[in-house]
Amino acid sequence: MNMQIEIDQIDKYYGAYHALKSVDVRIPQGQFVALVGPSGCGKSTLLRTIAGLETISSGAIRIAGADVSSAPPRQRDLAMVFQSYALYPHKTVAGNMTYALRLKGMNRAQARARAEEIAAITGLEKLMDRYPRELSGGQRQRVAMGRAIVREPQAFLFDEPLSNLDAALRVHMRAEIRKLHDRIGATSVYVTHDQIEAMTMADHVVVMRAGVIEQQGAPLDLYDRPVNRFVAGFIGSPAMNFVPARVGDDGGHVILDLPGSPRLTFDGHRPAGEAVIVGLRPEHLIPGTGDNALSLPIANVERTGSATFVRTATDPDVMIAANDRLAGVTTGTITVTIRPELIYLFSPETDGALRTG
Amino acid sequence: MLRDERLSQYALLTVALALVATYLFPVYWMYVTALKSGNEIVAWPPTFWPADPDFAAAEVWERLQMATYMKNSVIIAVGVTLIVVTLGTGCGYALARVRSRWMDVVLFAILMMQVLPSSLMITPIFVAFSQIGLLDYPRTAVILAQAAKVLPFYVVLTRATFIQVPKELEEAALVDGNSRIGAFLSINVPLARNGILVAALLIFLQSLGEYVYSRSLIQARAFQPATVGLQSFMGPNTSDWQGVMTYAAIYVTPIILFFVLLQRQIVSGLTSGALK
Repeated sequence: MNMQIEIDQIDKYYGAYHALKSVDVRIPQGQFVALVGPSGCGKSTLLRTIAGLETISSGAIRIAGADVSSAPPRQRDLAMVFQSYALYPHKTVAGNMTYALRLKGMNRAQARARAEEIAAITGLEKLMDRYPRELSGGQRQRVAMGRAIVREPQAFLFDEPLSNLDAALRVHMRAEIRKLHDRIGATSVYVTHDQIEAMTMADHVVVMRAGVIEQQGAPLDLYDRPVNRFVAGFIGSPAMNFVPARVGDDGGHVILDLPGSPRLTFDGHRPAGEAVIVGLRPEHLIPGTGDNALSLPIANVERTGSATFVRTATDPDVMIAANDRLAGVTTGTITVTIRPELIYLFSPETDGALRTG
Repeated sequence: MLRDERLSQYALLTVALALVATYLFPVYWMYVTALKSGNEIVAWPPTFWPADPDFAAAEVWERLQMATYMKNSVIIAVGVTLIVVTLGTGCGYALARVRSRWMDVVLFAILMMQVLPSSLMITPIFVAFSQIGLLDYPRTAVILAQAAKVLPFYVVLTRATFIQVPKELEEAALVDGNSRIGAFLSINVPLARNGILVAALLIFLQSLGEYVYSRSLIQARAFQPATVGLQSFMGPNTSDWQGVMTYAAIYVTPIILFFVLLQRQIVSGLTSGALK
């Protein structure tokens, strides 16, 4: 495949602080890539090194085949949408959108015509002569998008662009950004701390922690086959339950460290007596009786209408996400079953995955 | 209880007004004296309002050659302002962007330069300027000396303004294809405009009233600014008080008007940024 952005073993130090550690990502032309991780994981730093706003200490960055490792931002031909939108307050919407075009040497009339074209796509036609301070949050977000699109850049960089919007608008814009991406056929790199955004928008998700890429791949691959406990816990909502356990005598079941020492059969085989961490996704625990069942005391029940969340009164507690109302279930014990192939096992020492779905 | 509070408020207000009145009395006396005739000025007890107001502005302007003095004052003030704005704006921006624990030390050192009194600095400046022959261009010499003196003040003021311009705006401009200097000129400077204008105005007004350097560096009367000119009319034998006061009034009135008219912009430029 034709690589649009190649990040080749880059390291970034701030003094003694190692912010990016041998980061390696390859982004094919036209792909939507999400960089996701908790705050301080280096995802924004990585995006800024791609943009050229931060220098790299070693390694190389190539955009459309050209080495830009030490090139200033203006030579990289990328467009960036900032979390704060960073609209120029002293320029109108049209002025914001034509700024980059004018710098490229396009004449005023051409630049304006081009901006009008993009404004029609992004729904900004009526706002062209307004100043950013006269716009609502959602409109500003659109201007920031329009300002990026009008450039026809090598790639789009997004730095948490939706985090300042309210929940409903965020869901709407999520779909809209993805639609625009598909329509333009551009390459996009999208930074977010919200794994749902990453999962729903991206073709390829890069999960980072403490400057290291923990895992990258297709969204559902990360969900199904996390390489370690961190990725397993980060991807999926509500988060995966982790319960310490020991592998039973036949090597095909685990005995959970929970009241009543429940046994669960899993797909595969581990050495008997091995200490493991069992990962159970809340949505894989199905209320009801049957094979591979687990009975646990209830701490509380939350009903959202579409889903019901049950938290157990155990240590560690277990979260169960059921997609039925569980009418009448409030206290006492709840019994759930889980399919053997949906049981994840992790090593307590390394946190690495021993068995995944 | 409530009544006591109100009483103490009035008492404080009275004290404040009394202090302001004391402070402004010389200004009032200047204007009033400018309007009095010779006899009334020396009359005892003094009159607080001229019995027979006498506008002598045009006559004083002619007789005391104020045109030359005012012209020199404006040349010096404009020259200082141009140099300071050209050199200081970039400096204020740079100091706003550098993040270092040494920044406080740097700012302190810069302000130190501002604290040294002109009357102390003038001796070494005079010697240095005379050695390199700058005293042959006396107004230029004053402009250079005064610019060096007020530059720190300007840098510290504009730094405060540039700090309020978000860094992302500049980064957006860089990604949009601008160079650092281009981003500075097309994004940072327009957004810091209010602060820059106010700081420049303060520098201009301060240089318009510059005295110590002009007094020492400029010998020829034709190059002296209004401050030095005014002083040359005053002395133990001064009798033309009306002329002197009219001169002072003509000189000071535009400055006061400037401040009164622009006081809102000046205060907001000093305290808050240009951004909403």
